[in-house]
Amino acid sequence: MVLNQVTLYDFPITNQVMKHTLQLPSLTQIGSLLGLVALTGCYPQNTEPSGPVQGLRPVYAPMETVRKVEILPPQPLKQPGKIYVKDAFLFINEQNKGLHVVNNVNPEKPVKLAFIAIPGNTDMAVKGSILYANNITDLVALDISNLQQIQVTKRLENMFPYIAYPAERGVRFECADPSKGVVIRWEQAQLTNPKCYR
Amino acid sequence: MKKQLLFLLTIVALLAGCSTDAAKDSVGPGTGTGGSMARFTIIGNYLYVVNHANLVVYDIAQINTPVNVNKVALDAGVETIFPFRNHLMIGTQTGMLVYNLNDPAKPQMTSRYSHILSCDPVVAQGSYAYVTLRSGTACRNGANLLDILDISNMAAPRLVKSYPMSNPHGLGIDGNLLFVTEGDFGLKVFDATNPTDLKLVETFRDIRSFDVIPINKVLIVTGKDGIYQYSYSDPTKLKLLSHLPVE
Repeated sequence: MVLNQVTLYDFPITNQVMKHTLQLPSLTQIGSLLGLVALTGCYPQNTEPSGPVQGLRPVYAPMETVRKVEILPPQPLKQPGKIYVKDAFLFINEQNKGLHVVNNVNPEKPVKLAFIAIPGNTDMAVKGSILYANNITDLVALDISNLQQIQVTKRLENMFPYIAYPAERGVRFECADPSKGVVIRWEQAQLTNPKCYR
Repeated sequence: MKKQLLFLLTIVALLAGCSTDAAKDSVGPGTGTGGSMARFTIIGNYLYVVNHANLVVYDIAQINTPVNVNKVALDAGVETIFPFRNHLMIGTQTGMLVYNLNDPAKPQMTSRYSHILSCDPVVAQGSYAYVTLRSGTACRNGANLLDILDISNMAAPRLVKSYPMSNPHGLGIDGNLLFVTEGDFGLKVFDATNPTDLKLVETFRDIRSFDVIPINKVLIVTGKDGIYQYSYSDPTKLKLLSHLPVE
């Protein structure tokens, strides 16, 4: 029971679930949290509303501006995420930004060829000359047979959940509002009575 | 005239196909290889994607036009997917799910192996699955373990051994070598000749690592410090080939 209460905070995926999980806890939930404190000596800080607090605030972008894929010259590696190998190519995810395309025919001298900018991207897979990637809430299929002219051959909209929470844990944050667009990042801010915690 | 042109074009195409440079720089017809943290995997004509609480199936028989054909509800907390012998091994925060692809458009659950609440990718080889369990923040009820499961019967995975770890993330196995990324604690290489008696071969403490792909005797490591590549042609000593640093 206690465990369930705690894990609920971690999975604010659908809007419906979000309403039930991201709001500050009810009295019974607080009771469960107290149980957790008793069991682990460990509890989420600042779950009670109390004036301005340091937390995270969503930075929004209109959906139409992030539903796009761009081919750019090689970019610096900043926050490498997952990797994927296809023939002599190595794809390196730049977390939430896109994919570095690397010629890895010689693993002693990998050469960055290009950067495919895909907002919100974290995952990829390739079959033949088609790369599949997540782009915010969409699945896109890209023809990568010509790196200078990468084409979106198909976009399936709303296949992935709207991300309504930051990656960090143990933080208070301003609840994301889908009507304002998609959250492209989270910034530190002084928040007044933020309603969300993770 | 048309026929001659076609013939000429065929010859040109054949010649281009023979050129090694062209082969190196272009993408072939097959499917690539992901790491253990992947949430996308391709088997045959299907792309399988896990997102949090669902397994989503896309028909990619026409590769440039994926079609969403199915969505299977899973437990919450799904993290990773790994293809293995016409099955999907799905890592979740509560265990490992095995789905069979007897009907590839309609994955069906074969078994579930439950463990304590934790974060865990899975890879498999031969009769064994290798599952890392990682604790999250201090308040999470995780453990840091490498679990070895006997999956000779996919319908009944059985825990045969559990090894303590520091903070294991992704992992990879090729032949006798098992590679386990330990987050800020580095990268560990094990001799897994006997999976119930792993022998530590090497620890790279300085390489903050998140996932690995061992392929063609080259280990590709990703993490906060960039991309490292090692040759493991000599399984007793890894040799650094290159490092793409973060800038």
